[in-house]
Amino acid sequence: MNEITNLHNSSLKDHARRVRHNALVMAETQGQGYIAQALGVADVLTVTYFHAMNHRPDQPSWEDRDRFLLSPGHYGIAHYSVLVAAGYLPEEELITYAADDSRLPMSGMTSYTPGAEMSGGSIGLGLPMAVGMGLGLKRKKSKSFIYTLMGDGELAEGPTWEAAISAASYQLDNIIAVVDFNQVQADGPSTKVMNTEPVVAKFEAFGFYVQRIDGNDMSALVAAFDRAREHPEPQPRIIICDTKMGCGVDFLEGREKSHFIRLQPDDWKRAYQALEASSVQ
Amino acid sequence: MNMQLHKENTMLKTKSPDITASAIDEGHPTTSMPFGNALIELGRTRPEIVGMSADLAKYTDIHIFAEAYPDRFYQMGMSEQLMATAAGGLSKEGFIPFATTYATFASRRCYDFMSQAVAEQDANVKLIGGLPGLTTGYGPSHQATDDIAIFRAMPNLTIIDPCDAYEIEQLVPALADHHGPVYSRILRGNVARVLDQYDYRFEIGKAALLRGGSDVLIISTGFMTMRALDSAKELKSDGIDVAVLHVPTIKPLDELAILREARRTGRLVVTAENHSSIGGLGEAVSSTLAMNGVCPELRRIALPDRFLDAGTLPVLQHRYGITREAMTENIRRWL
Ligand SMILES: Cc1ncc(C[n+]2csc(CCOP(=O)(O)OP(=O)(O)O)c2C)c(N)n1
Ligand SMILES: [Mg+2]
Repeated sequence: MNEITNLHNSSLKDHARRVRHNALVMAETQGQGYIAQALGVADVLTVTYFHAMNHRPDQPSWEDRDRFLLSPGHYGIAHYSVLVAAGYLPEEELITYAADDSRLPMSGMTSYTPGAEMSGGSIGLGLPMAVGMGLGLKRKKSKSFIYTLMGDGELAEGPTWEAAISAASYQLDNIIAVVDFNQVQADGPSTKVMNTEPVVAKFEAFGFYVQRIDGNDMSALVAAFDRAREHPEPQPRIIICDTKMGCGVDFLEGREKSHFIRLQPDDWKRAYQALEASSVQ
Repeated sequence: MNMQLHKENTMLKTKSPDITASAIDEGHPTTSMPFGNALIELGRTRPEIVGMSADLAKYTDIHIFAEAYPDRFYQMGMSEQLMATAAGGLSKEGFIPFATTYATFASRRCYDFMSQAVAEQDANVKLIGGLPGLTTGYGPSHQATDDIAIFRAMPNLTIIDPCDAYEIEQLVPALADHHGPVYSRILRGNVARVLDQYDYRFEIGKAALLRGGSDVLIISTGFMTMRALDSAKELKSDGIDVAVLHVPTIKPLDELAILREARRTGRLVVTAENHSSIGGLGEAVSSTLAMNGVCPELRRIALPDRFLDAGTLPVLQHRYGITREAMTENIRRWL
């Protein structure tokens, strides 16, 4: 790795720390929530917004922007963390998360938040929406990409696979799907709730350019997003990111029941301290 | 919707507000997980009962059935369409599946599958929807404001919206005894217990007059019956005498009971439901009355025909007029 790459990666790490901090602030105002997902996917979103995407935070509807679709609405907390870090929203608004009349509702919706391109929440709409936008962008001769974030639980939804067939059939090389493979869904560990493996072989068979990487490894993420954009074949791209729920806050990492976490008031202070300590190394 | 720049710095940290709940009214005893416990009880004597969920077992209380009978529970993953259709398949082999998800996904996402794999084939499937109506602040994706409207047009489907834990405990065995497809809302977690105070028995297709009254007749379903009863008590102290007719089965509708009560002259008739004003109990009652030439003064308490806001539950329920306070206030105004 050359010096410039090293510098870039270390500034990405600073952004990721900020993203995680933002997520803790929001979760603390609620005392509970989807904090483990937000911490786990923070590196993925940091690389998406601070390395891969061509976008203008002060101009969320800029026509030539790359699109970002958040399909699992409950990842709103993760998305707002990076939107604030990137300057779409003021930091002061974090404490309004999920409150009445906030622009940061618990489940992400396009009519509420600048930079939210779709209303998710009813899970399974992300990849189908990307297909439509992919077709539309091609009609407009646009060079923009569509990044669409999915949860691993979402791989059991039928519409995901209908869209996968279609994306390959239409050679939608402007779609970069990103799966947060955190091994957890609502009822428990993903592979126990419904085993969707082998995911790489499935998407390859469906005609995708597939990469599977450690989603908490900054340089692996950067390389994977670069390859996804530069891949020469006319096929949709997918990056399966193996992430660690709670990553960056040691006592939340690997917690068994982590889909929705409630913490005692004292634990939030511990969480900030743990995050501080983890980013020292 | 909420696009205005928010009064950022003035908003104080609220105490962790309720974002989802079964019913948030104080002053009622509660029972924990009435649906799951009733299903476990039923399972003891009925080996043909099986459970299913689409990654929402823990959030619909069927996880305790899964723990009690691990080999009789099918986790389908987040695949609601599959769950509805596979439930039809299980019923073809003689089993009675109780299949759970949130009411919003049960209705919107499963519709065609319920229609063709279940209702048309008279499959003995019990589709159970948690988080009915406005019981979450997550916004439209999770607010099942239209499930009853969606399902009412489906032939051969029985539709139920229970009031409380006491009713849920009774409806579980009643659904198993009734051959045919059913969609029932449920309340989960700690659920208010109200109807045991009213000498009530649940029967599919039957409405029940829970209290008489000479000034107002409330025709209500779901937990709005709890609020109607509480509102009636409150209005009593104003000298307003309120009757409450509870209609847990939306389809087939107990038209006889509704007509009998609505024919008594001199009463304001108010329908009350935790559902959109379109396609729910209110419209069903209005049409029954009109088609039979019964024309009392009629008012409707229901959610508005729009995508509702996200936020905290007490605020939202008040904003959209389905709290007891709003009900009492409206009835006073309408008299
Ligand atoms: C269509 C649909 N079904 C069910 C749900 C309820 N639900 C919300 S999150 C979730 C689990 C999703 O799994 P995953 O995407 O892996 O999320 P994680 O547990 O990692 O946050 C479920 C079942 C939903 N929002 N949409
Ligand atoms: Mg997951």
